[in-house]
Amino acid sequence: MNLRAIGALISKDFFLFFRNRFFALMTALGIFFYLAIYFLMPSSVDETLVIGLYAPVMPPAFELTEEEGLEFQMAESEVALKEAVIEGEYLAGIALPADIMDRFASGQKPRVNVYFASSVPEEMKDGVVVLIEELAYQETGLGLEASEPEILGPDMMGMQIPPRDRMRPLFAVFIMLFEVFGLAVLISEEVERRTIQALLVTPMTLKDLFAAKGAVGMTLAFGQAVLFMGIVGGMSQQPLIILATLLLGGVLVTGVGFLLAALGKDMMSVMGWFVIALVILVIPSFGVVFPGTVSGWAKVIPSYYLVDTVHRVSNFGAGWGDIGYNLLILLGFAVALVWIGIIALRRKLQ
Amino acid sequence: MSLKRVGILLGKEFWQSPKNFIFVWALAGPIILSLVVSLAFGTLFTDKPKLGIMDEGSSQLVTMFKQSTSVITKEYGSISEIRQAVESGAVDIGMVLPHDFDGSVTRGEEIEVTAYVWGESLAKNRIILEVTILNLVRELAGHEAPVEIVAITLGGDVSVPWSDRLLPFIVLMTIFMGGLLLPGMSVINEKEKKTLEGLVVTPATIGDVFVAKGLLGVSLSLFMGVAILVLNQAFGAEPGILLLVLALGAIMAAELGLLLGALVKDTTTLFAVWKFGGILLFGPALLYMFPEIPEWIGKIFPTYYFIQPIVEISQGSGGWADVATNVFILVALDLILIAVVAFALRRTQQHAV
Repeated sequence: MNLRAIGALISKDFFLFFRNRFFALMTALGIFFYLAIYFLMPSSVDETLVIGLYAPVMPPAFELTEEEGLEFQMAESEVALKEAVIEGEYLAGIALPADIMDRFASGQKPRVNVYFASSVPEEMKDGVVVLIEELAYQETGLGLEASEPEILGPDMMGMQIPPRDRMRPLFAVFIMLFEVFGLAVLISEEVERRTIQALLVTPMTLKDLFAAKGAVGMTLAFGQAVLFMGIVGGMSQQPLIILATLLLGGVLVTGVGFLLAALGKDMMSVMGWFVIALVILVIPSFGVVFPGTVSGWAKVIPSYYLVDTVHRVSNFGAGWGDIGYNLLILLGFAVALVWIGIIALRRKLQ
Repeated sequence: MSLKRVGILLGKEFWQSPKNFIFVWALAGPIILSLVVSLAFGTLFTDKPKLGIMDEGSSQLVTMFKQSTSVITKEYGSISEIRQAVESGAVDIGMVLPHDFDGSVTRGEEIEVTAYVWGESLAKNRIILEVTILNLVRELAGHEAPVEIVAITLGGDVSVPWSDRLLPFIVLMTIFMGGLLLPGMSVINEKEKKTLEGLVVTPATIGDVFVAKGLLGVSLSLFMGVAILVLNQAFGAEPGILLLVLALGAIMAAELGLLLGALVKDTTTLFAVWKFGGILLFGPALLYMFPEIPEWIGKIFPTYYFIQPIVEISQGSGGWADVATNVFILVALDLILIAVVAFALRRTQQHAV
């Protein structure tokens, strides 16, 4: 391999990539906006039902309710309760009648007013109504005992993953793919303008050429993904694993970039294939953002192993032993895609 | 400017454009996105807790859960399936009902029910599911609630489902994808292939070329805008005003596209601008997705004055009086953009000649 030629080609590609100052600025701004979206999203998950309660007489069942996820806040009067509901301080406001205990004791049904803001979804209203009924059952001694269920997976109650952290793998895949799109356009244009053929009549070999293009793709994809993950705290746990995963992800998307360049003739056709690749490779990220929506078949998509690893490591602190299998498969997919991409590009060049 | 030449050029644009990826994508993209949103996102973004049930017998409770409005119920055929569903987060709680569950409930016997909870399930979802399960079991046993609950709704704001919150984004994408990218791309392609200089030496002026390309963008995005509103059943109220606003939005998109076409050198840069500028164009959509964001932030974006009337009429049952100010601002923005495009065009003409 001719390292000098590879180095020269890498510098030329970077020069071409960022020759346009505006394009360079936009690339930087692209990262900035991904970061802005991340930091604008809520950093915590509100998993508690905050309910206002006006109770001239407090039934013990309401007093003893200390379940995680449910919080009663006392209101001074029914009017104050209603105002707080309208202001959105509470999901609902419960106004218990002064004679509630007497009515329970005499077997009569007390009438309870429950106030909701009109923006509260119907299902939440129904949920709160059912909750009050259940408390009333407990108050009248008709409580049912539920056995302890089995918790599957780590119990995250009280320490839920914020949506923005669930989106980190999605952002990483987006950043990597968009940068590789630029590389694919660069290569396809060189193929079309026959500058690559011109390069090959110099002492540079096809191997040198692919090494240089691969290095450019890797640096662009890996570098920006690392920068993003570093800033959003995605590397606060197991940074080495995250780096290794992003590195393999960089190789994977470089392979995709080679394939796109081989398939497309110009920017527009590369764009067409890129959209298809983007849609397919982004699917596993949705399984992380919206758990349960993507089933087992997503494991055939190479980016699944990138997304799953980033999610498990950055959000659950998984170690080498937990994700070693993922990294092996990711490596396999990355090598296979680069190899297929090189073969396709070589065929195109010939 | 010659209308005849503009017509001929427009005909050529209509003939050539369907071969262009952007044209196809501008037609197919919004429809696909709209279908995905209505099909998948209808339940994807819901706050309703999800319950999985595996019934070993034939309990009435399953039907009762399905009729319940406070939870989403999914049925599974085996214990392994329900475990897998809980582990993946497809449901918050999975419950296995044993044989003769209903009989045991009616007889008041103690029943052992296997239940699984997804570790990442929110505490509030767990509570709602727990009380819903207990409540329906009591209903099955024939118990009557010992309390009379009167639900009273306060205030005027209405809860907006996610499928509706995403509509502004879909409409903006529809209008600006075709309206902006198609003319912009078309001008840049001509510049890259040096055919623009060729056209200028014919009787057609550069103004004719730009108007023809702009009209193509306006027609496509207006057509798609109407199609998307119809598809989302949002075109019923005040179709005249909606059509007017869509047309003004399409004009704005085409003007921005032509401006980019005039200023940008190549396709790569156009997409770089799209990558960054997309945030500016689609910014107001975030306002509707997350109503907690103060409305004044939306007013910074020019596209706010296009999307606000659309949303106000199609989702808020508003009329002309509610949107007139923003429509006039939109008209003013369109006029300013025409002047800017004309200035940029003069510059392009100087370069082309």
